[in-house]
Amino acid sequence: MTPFELQEPDTLAEAITLLDPDDPAVRPLAGATALMLMMKAGLFQPTRLVSLRRLDDGLRHIFIDERGELHLGALATLSDIERSALVAEHAPAVTQACHTLSNVRVRNVATLGGHLAHGDPHMDLPPLLLALGARARAVGPHGERWIDAADLFVGYYQTSLERDELLSEIVIPSPEPDTHATYVKFTALSADDWPAVGVAAAARHRDGVIVDAKLAVSAATERPTRLPAVEAALRGATVCADTIESAAEAAARSVEPLADLRGSSAYKREMIRVHVRRALVTVTRS
Amino acid sequence: MSALRQIAFTLNGRAVTADVAPHHTLVEVLQEQFALYGARESCAQGLCGCCTAIVDGRAVSGCLYLAAFADGADVVTIEGLADRNHLDPVQEAFISCNAFQCGFCTSGFILMTRQLLEQNPDPTDDEIRHYLSGNLCRCGTYPDIINAVHAAAATLHKE
Amino acid sequence: MSTRVDPQPITEDRPTVQIGRSIPRLESLEKVTGETEYIHHLRLPHMLYGKIFRSSVAHGRILKLDTRAARELPGVAAVITGADVCALIPEPYYGPAFHDQPVLAIDKVRYVGEPVAVALSEDPHLAEHAANLIEAEYEELPAVFDEVEAAAATDTFVHDALKPAGTFPDLKHLQGRTKTNVALDFSLRHNDAERGFEQADYIFEHVFRTPAAIHAAMEPIVAVGEPRGSSAVTIHTSSQSPSFVRTEVARLLGWPENHVRVRTAFLGGGFGAKLYIKLEALVAVLALLVKRPVKIALTMEEQFYTITKHATTVRMKSGVTKAGKVVARRCEAWWNGGAYADIGPRVTQKSGFTAAGPYDIENVSLDSYAVYTNLPPAGAFRGFGIPQLVWAYESHTDIIARELELDPLEFRRANILRNGRPQATGTIMRDTATVEVLDTLERAMDWKAPRDPGDGNVRRGRGVAIGFKACIAPTTSVAIVNIYGDGSCAVYCGTVDMGQGSDTAMAQIAAEVLGLDPRAISVIHPDTDVTPYDMATLGSRSTFHMGNAVRLAALDAREKLFIMAGKALGCDPGLLSAAGGCVRAPDGRQLSVGEVIKSGFLMQAGNLIGSGSFRPTYTSPSHGDGQSSDITPFWMVGAVGADVEVDMETGHVRVTRLVSVADVGTVINPAIVTRQLNGGAVMQLGLTMSEALRFDHGQVTNASLADYKIPGILDVPAEIFAEAAPGCQHSGPFGAKGAGETGTFAVSPAIANAIHDATGVRIYDLPLTPEVVYRALRAAQHNPLENEL
Repeated sequence: MTPFELQEPDTLAEAITLLDPDDPAVRPLAGATALMLMMKAGLFQPTRLVSLRRLDDGLRHIFIDERGELHLGALATLSDIERSALVAEHAPAVTQACHTLSNVRVRNVATLGGHLAHGDPHMDLPPLLLALGARARAVGPHGERWIDAADLFVGYYQTSLERDELLSEIVIPSPEPDTHATYVKFTALSADDWPAVGVAAAARHRDGVIVDAKLAVSAATERPTRLPAVEAALRGATVCADTIESAAEAAARSVEPLADLRGSSAYKREMIRVHVRRALVTVTRS
Repeated sequence: MSALRQIAFTLNGRAVTADVAPHHTLVEVLQEQFALYGARESCAQGLCGCCTAIVDGRAVSGCLYLAAFADGADVVTIEGLADRNHLDPVQEAFISCNAFQCGFCTSGFILMTRQLLEQNPDPTDDEIRHYLSGNLCRCGTYPDIINAVHAAAATLHKE
Repeated sequence: MSTRVDPQPITEDRPTVQIGRSIPRLESLEKVTGETEYIHHLRLPHMLYGKIFRSSVAHGRILKLDTRAARELPGVAAVITGADVCALIPEPYYGPAFHDQPVLAIDKVRYVGEPVAVALSEDPHLAEHAANLIEAEYEELPAVFDEVEAAAATDTFVHDALKPAGTFPDLKHLQGRTKTNVALDFSLRHNDAERGFEQADYIFEHVFRTPAAIHAAMEPIVAVGEPRGSSAVTIHTSSQSPSFVRTEVARLLGWPENHVRVRTAFLGGGFGAKLYIKLEALVAVLALLVKRPVKIALTMEEQFYTITKHATTVRMKSGVTKAGKVVARRCEAWWNGGAYADIGPRVTQKSGFTAAGPYDIENVSLDSYAVYTNLPPAGAFRGFGIPQLVWAYESHTDIIARELELDPLEFRRANILRNGRPQATGTIMRDTATVEVLDTLERAMDWKAPRDPGDGNVRRGRGVAIGFKACIAPTTSVAIVNIYGDGSCAVYCGTVDMGQGSDTAMAQIAAEVLGLDPRAISVIHPDTDVTPYDMATLGSRSTFHMGNAVRLAALDAREKLFIMAGKALGCDPGLLSAAGGCVRAPDGRQLSVGEVIKSGFLMQAGNLIGSGSFRPTYTSPSHGDGQSSDITPFWMVGAVGADVEVDMETGHVRVTRLVSVADVGTVINPAIVTRQLNGGAVMQLGLTMSEALRFDHGQVTNASLADYKIPGILDVPAEIFAEAAPGCQHSGPFGAKGAGETGTFAVSPAIANAIHDATGVRIYDLPLTPEVVYRALRAAQHNPLENEL
């Protein structure tokens, strides 16, 4: 690794002033796991890194507010989230996804904020947060703003965050009763591989009819992508194999999978079809 | 170039200081300043676990962990697990189950197993496999490692 | 399993005590406490770290090399290029078979990743930074990548002329050959294959391929050069072949061998990657040029640019009678050797002559080609080419059995090569448990039991395969057994313990002869100034060769011990025996070994030194037809049975059971041997399911363990076990032979055969990734998946 300067501010406000909106060689650093990979490989050579680990703003919180919304602090580690009883109760699919997310040591160090702000399409939680209708709170020099999770990811390793903006928390809305959510991770090379295809689904059905459905795919696509047209077609449809198969087919046709070491575009399209179907079967099970 | 800064931390129960640059990793500092070689870099990507160390009670990949972040922390390495005359039950189990060959990955597997058994004293095969999925053994000693985890769990139950 | 068999002139007639015992590895304590010595950890005073600047083109002429910015970076001690190397060594080309590989590139580069220059600094980060500042300009030349195309190329050549190493008389005819990428072609003709095909009722012909792969030892390749004045050098290296390193570095420097000292420690895995010259010549030259110790430790990524497993294309053709007898087989194998030959030509020959498989086939024709390409060099890889060939002949054999509707295991048994019958080279097979291995596998698998074929999306299947290998020959091992003044004992041998447990096995062999506790014997690690010659730790040769040498050395030491004890006890030395750490007379009187030494040297002093040297007989295959009456000191046989589940919607294959059975002769340490077998099977599982180097114009595109996936603990089958079949190698130490590679032989085809059993789909190219299987399933449904691009 090439040498760099490390700053460790005590407050979020101070951290933001240390960031540089115009200099890509200055970046914030939380658990550092993803950035370290890029730095060790020489893909990122920072001049200055702003560590968030000393912030006293309490960004490690996990709580449920009076409206039943789950707040996850951006500096909560993925292990904190994995082990949280509140998360397990309120968003069990998040707990489930954390179990196979990277590995224990990475989860012990990597933070939720870093996991999202990295913009890597292979991350596991983004599609799930999309399907759960989550939103993110971002803080910058001019104050804070809310970003719908679906609007956070704008391209390959690109988010809608400014260079001097930081995520402070993620909020997962209170689910409607009887909502079921799941994340399906398909790995192509080994069991502990990055996903070749990730599919997240959340659905609610009553009397054999789908009341609401949210669907997102990742890893095969350049960014975690919600599929509103497929969701719309599912709403009001009867829970049956045909409904699910046509939704899976529509999902596969609605995205342009990227070919890489883990599969060709054509193969990934097929895998999106299969895993959207499997995810929908899971979330529409009575 | 970047200036050195002094960090102070607890290393295997002893208060220590080290002079580190921001780009130094924990595994480098353990080796170069404390002559502790049980954590060692292999894949350089946090995937193989050869560089595992315990920081404030949680396992980390020493190759992806900035040494500067150890400031004020409690760091435990394989060398701090036991002395040669009184091995930890996990170490004993790795020997009795023949759970290593070349040994390069072994410290990492042993430390991860310690962590697992602290959190889950009686893990199933599936739980063991998931917990240890971030450690690689190119010698392919995995079946024996699973046996060793069970054997260590049984010993710890008796204690 | 502890039948004692004695091939040597000195016979013993007591049952063995230490052979067949599963004692824990001698170094167990160090390995669980993190204290094991690896060269990876070595730091010397005033040491510099070297970082390699590598070629970015696959084939090109170096027009300009600009090292100024790197040299001027504060803290950089030196930047060394090929020109600097030539000032020290006029012809700095090395290699075990061909002297074709430069210490650093000279005039040309021949693959992406080839070392071009080295930046040196006390700070490894600075050395890396400096290496990044080096710039090179190349005139790009046409490149060749595919082994079959490169072999047939008429205008693009990796090397201008072949430069075989003088040490091999059988390569002399290749000296100076030009306009070819074929480094070596090996032919074998056993009777008349063409006539055999005419006599056959059915002809089968298929082509199989395997990709390049890497060893990915957990301890990446590392070496430290330490100058001792200007006329001697010490090389500390994670090498499997310290004796070869000494010979080759001494040759390069024009020095006698005793000016070069090479030492190793424990290796964090080797698998063939750490053989011959890797970094050793480079660090020796750097250390001598800058007059300071120099360490180069490769990153995992750099290992992908250093040494690989040969990609292969193998064409198999068989003639079979209606009765299910294979009467003729023709095989052609092309080995993608990359830009430098390394040991590739030996793989081509030594594995090539087994390419027809462990079968009794009347007419055989084999052609095997070592081919240069503009890819990273390929060399030895656990199995030494055998897994690639077994992939071909056992997939092919299975196709024949299933098309003829014969039980795959019975078909193999009906054609198997048995003891007393000639192998394709003409060598009569002996002490080889081919039949016993098949029988053991059949029982261990419960082969005939009814199975659940699955339904719908999940189909289940079962497959078997068997492979065999000849041990490399002729090679020499020398050992010393030294009994110290207090009666403690050390074994000095050049075998490198890289996880296979050789220290423990050698201690058990010496302990057996000397009547000592093996755990009290120390095994001195290779140091060419201390330990005697050993050809190398490779090819499953150590237990047999070094085991025999250690046994002879221990017998020699024991003879001296008995003479000394005979005087003390007033007894004929020929009547003494050694057991329990003592020398015993027939009347029951005994002295501890320490007491014997004291009686001889009159105090706790002196040494009793025994030495042993072992080299088996060998007859070179004759040029042209490859026939030899004595091609190998022993044969290894490995069979595998696999159960799989195939997800018909994704092509994902889960191996649910993996059973390995091997002929390893008498087992010295069953616990270690079964782990070697299982470990080989797990490694080959990775090479079967996912491992493949991917290239883009010669550039590796997955040079990391994030993108090149080796098996993790989740990938290991729920049921996996290994078993040694009953066998005895009469010429081996106490009946033992090698076991390090046998577990790898048959894994890949066993799994592919199981996939065929489950789905009816046959796959010809490794690895069996979900997409490969999925595409095959779709093609079989006459609904092929559209092609890329």
